[in-house]
Amino acid sequence: MDAAASVQSSPTLDPESREWLRSLRAGGREHDGAVLRLHELLLRAARFECARRRPTLPHLRGNDLDDIANQAADDALVSVLRRLDTFRGASRFTTWAYKFALLEAAVKLRKRAWQGREVPLEPETWGLFTSAGIEPDASVEQSELLGTLQQAIADVLTPHQRRVLVALALNGVPIDVLAERLDTTRGALYKTLHDARRKLRGHLEELGLSLETLEAS
Amino acid sequence: MERPELKQALGRLLGPSEPEIGCDECFAELDRYVELELAGADADAAVPGLREHLAGCAACREEHESLRALVGGEQAL
Repeated sequence: MDAAASVQSSPTLDPESREWLRSLRAGGREHDGAVLRLHELLLRAARFECARRRPTLPHLRGNDLDDIANQAADDALVSVLRRLDTFRGASRFTTWAYKFALLEAAVKLRKRAWQGREVPLEPETWGLFTSAGIEPDASVEQSELLGTLQQAIADVLTPHQRRVLVALALNGVPIDVLAERLDTTRGALYKTLHDARRKLRGHLEELGLSLETLEAS
Repeated sequence: MERPELKQALGRLLGPSEPEIGCDECFAELDRYVELELAGADADAAVPGLREHLAGCAACREEHESLRALVGGEQAL
């Protein structure tokens, strides 16, 4: 990389971010104090996420949520410290750090919400109308088009693509929950979903259909 | 007849029509994107494909909303 590109990809750090990096990279008590402050910052973000999601998690008590927030902050702290050298200064340090805590909390809350629940994967059991929240009073044209869509899902997707599409897009299974059940990652699952969607769109276009024509029917 | 639930369901099934980035790249760029948004800058031009990814990925969309709300709330103080 030439000098100009290097400067461009490493924006000047704001003073607060520079201080965070300096103190976290320092030794002894200064480092320990910075780690403590970072944990407090991450815990605040994790609690923020728990509070946002609380209405959707009525079975969780305050203590449960606080445990989740603390675990999320602990895990985010490890992630942030491990990735400290990858911080490019493209945002403030605190914004960059927050996203790790929010991610950890969100993933834990999604998994907790689905704990013990069956993850519906079977394409044979899905009904496009009911699963997707489409009422069965669709017009004849809509019913035909949705039938075509259902057939396309059965015909053009691989069994894995079909399972992933049905679980994520029709049955509302959170991607992190499905990733854990299938022993894969969010990124890999989304790639499968993306490929399935592209295949489906391509097939519908070959049939002279598109999302716009389906919506307009 | 306007059927928003049909449109939403089809959107979930078929995803965004424009090119999008993946979940890992979305996470890598999310902090910069949110700060640009909050500053009123053209975040979509700076990170092409992220907006489309948020339309297609419920989890990344939720995390974007949370980061934006958290940082935006702090800025408003």
